[in-house]
Amino acid sequence: MNRRNPLLPYLLITPTLLFVAMFTIFPLLSSIITSFYKQRLNIPKFREPVWDGLGNYRELLSDEVFRQVISNTGIYVLILVPLCVAAAFLLALMLHAGGGEGSTAVLNRRSRNLRRVGKRMNGFYRTAFFYPTVIPMVSAATIWMFFFTPDYGLFNRFLLFLGYRGAQNWAGNPDLALAAVLITAFWKSAGYYMIFYLAGLQNLPKQVFEAAVIDGAGPLRLLVSITIPLLKRTTLFVTTIAFIGTFQSVDHVFVLTGGGPSDRSSLLLYHLWQVRFDQLNVGEASAITVILVLLLLFFTVSNFIFNERGER
Amino acid sequence: MKRETMYVRTGVLIAAALLLGTGFLFAAGQAESPAAEGNVEISIAYPVAVDAPIADILQKYADEFQAENPEVTITPVFSGGYTDVKTAIQTSIEGGGNAPALAVMLATDLYDLVNAGYVTAMDELLAAMPDGDAYIDDFLPAFMGNSYYEGKTYSLPFQRSAVVLYYNADLFREEGIALPTDWDSFAQAAAALTVRKNGQVTRWGLEYSSDWPYWLFQPLAIGNGKNIVGDETTVYFNAPEVVEALQYYIDLSRVYKAMPEGVQASWGTSTGNFAAGKTAMIMHSSGSMTNLLGSSDFEVGVMGMPGTVKPYASVPGGGNLYITSGLSDAEEQAAFDFAVFLTDPEREAEFSKATGYIVPRYSAAETKTMQDYFADVPQALDAMKALEYAEKELALQNLGEVRGIFHKYLQSAINGEMSAQEAMDTAQNLADKALEDFR
Repeated sequence: MNRRNPLLPYLLITPTLLFVAMFTIFPLLSSIITSFYKQRLNIPKFREPVWDGLGNYRELLSDEVFRQVISNTGIYVLILVPLCVAAAFLLALMLHAGGGEGSTAVLNRRSRNLRRVGKRMNGFYRTAFFYPTVIPMVSAATIWMFFFTPDYGLFNRFLLFLGYRGAQNWAGNPDLALAAVLITAFWKSAGYYMIFYLAGLQNLPKQVFEAAVIDGAGPLRLLVSITIPLLKRTTLFVTTIAFIGTFQSVDHVFVLTGGGPSDRSSLLLYHLWQVRFDQLNVGEASAITVILVLLLLFFTVSNFIFNERGER
Repeated sequence: MKRETMYVRTGVLIAAALLLGTGFLFAAGQAESPAAEGNVEISIAYPVAVDAPIADILQKYADEFQAENPEVTITPVFSGGYTDVKTAIQTSIEGGGNAPALAVMLATDLYDLVNAGYVTAMDELLAAMPDGDAYIDDFLPAFMGNSYYEGKTYSLPFQRSAVVLYYNADLFREEGIALPTDWDSFAQAAAALTVRKNGQVTRWGLEYSSDWPYWLFQPLAIGNGKNIVGDETTVYFNAPEVVEALQYYIDLSRVYKAMPEGVQASWGTSTGNFAAGKTAMIMHSSGSMTNLLGSSDFEVGVMGMPGTVKPYASVPGGGNLYITSGLSDAEEQAAFDFAVFLTDPEREAEFSKATGYIVPRYSAAETKTMQDYFADVPQALDAMKALEYAEKELALQNLGEVRGIFHKYLQSAINGEMSAQEAMDTAQNLADKALEDFR
């Protein structure tokens, strides 16, 4: 077939290629080009782009707000991604075990009763863990806005019950605002990544676990030596999409803190929106876009390299 | 072999169809709206994130207008908040699409909107109106303040509000506290109305949100004799009166213990707390009045923020009607006609009654509908009175950046990270730098 019509493969990918070119490559190239121009829509003399070389980048690097935003984003991503991935894994493990099927069912073999209850509760837990994923981020943030309310907010009540006596105005306190944004995003997305782990767990070969149990491996041994290594591919995938998702989520910042107080909870994408639509600074916004894309590229590629190296 | 040929054919067909489809989509995106001879289709972009059934009211007005003007079709486009409307207008104009002809956007966005070329001046349309001058003179000057730029008129006040102080009148009566008349008596009253049990606050005297702080803060500065903004390139962030106002705000929590300390992210929750009796007074938008009157089971009082050199002060807010740029003459005329239709005194009165927004025209306040409403709900009249000592809302060149700077340092001072003086000096410095390009 190939011999007879060498053009066919290209023809078949043309529609996709066209879409990618139009909606991904073109905007990216246009952002890269615009980032070298000074263009500010709200200043008449800079409404038309003027060549500025690396001016936008230089301005960003010397901008105190931008440095704050980069530091916020770094902390946010480096805490949220591992937290989400770990929680997703643990939740999946729990649900999988509770289901009484597959590899980790051995954990429960001593108690049939527990397993029966577990099975019944499993549906409930699945729904409970997954439902935050289904609702939109804006709704999640609104729910948490009320959870975070000082004095009677559910989250503050819960903390009080645990003995926490510190500050309660999560969205207004400079030391808590970023944590508030982070907690909301964690609650919203951990369940989503859990699904991938659950699917991964259910696809693991049973024989390997059976053989290991016969060899006398305990539950912890099974987990560390078999489950985790076998799920490596899933982990790579989940970590990658978690990185990208974390950079992309912004709605909760709008609802909860508006980047405040004093830019303490402003994230890169939120700042990008502010610069582009609030300050109408097209050149600087393009430079931020380029930096955002580079950061994502760096994280994704290094994640792949890191994981692939271990494979060989 | 036959089968392979079939695959090839199908593949080619699918690819061709998709390509063609994309082409059509693209063409459809480019096409002008197909208006028949003499018929005009326009849309109006409207923010609905307010405490009132605005979508229904607007749809009703659009239907009435179309009944009177059968050649015009009006499609209301409802977006979330003011910023969403502005973003939608920006993206459609810059993307070369058909932006809504008429839009309700913040009165304060004037400079950015004009500089970016998103909106059109209305002077020619007003001049062509039989009584254009009288029409404009009928709007409250406090509201028209943000409509002029370089001698031209760019917007018509429509959905206007003001910062007001809501107080639980029953509590004042029960505790025998007189209504505050200046900063001192205000702080005393707020402190006296705060209730603590075993060190825990069960009722705050005051909630005064500072999560989007410039607007609620302005009445403090204005009441102390100095607005934070002058002409289109001047701010007075570190004027002594403004620093004093900031210190007073901080003292309300630190010294008088009458409200929660630090930045209060309570714009969304303070109304609920007030209605539930958990807070005795709140500073908020007059736009929340209908909601508050409906949900409180006590007498709600409304007044301006007590001041020092002024008896009380407020600041206007809310949205104006703008006509976007790049329209045909017929579309522009239709948009203007609909704007005039919307600002009709009777409709303004009805709209105000339904939403709690302040009527922006004198003639609207004098309609029987409004007079009856004032008699019925005297708070609505109090909100209008609060505007007597109002000065203009923070609006100037490069608003987004300057406001961002002010917010940042105001919050730093409120959170105790900087002294009020230090914070406002820094803000003034940075704002002056941000305004350099505009002088």
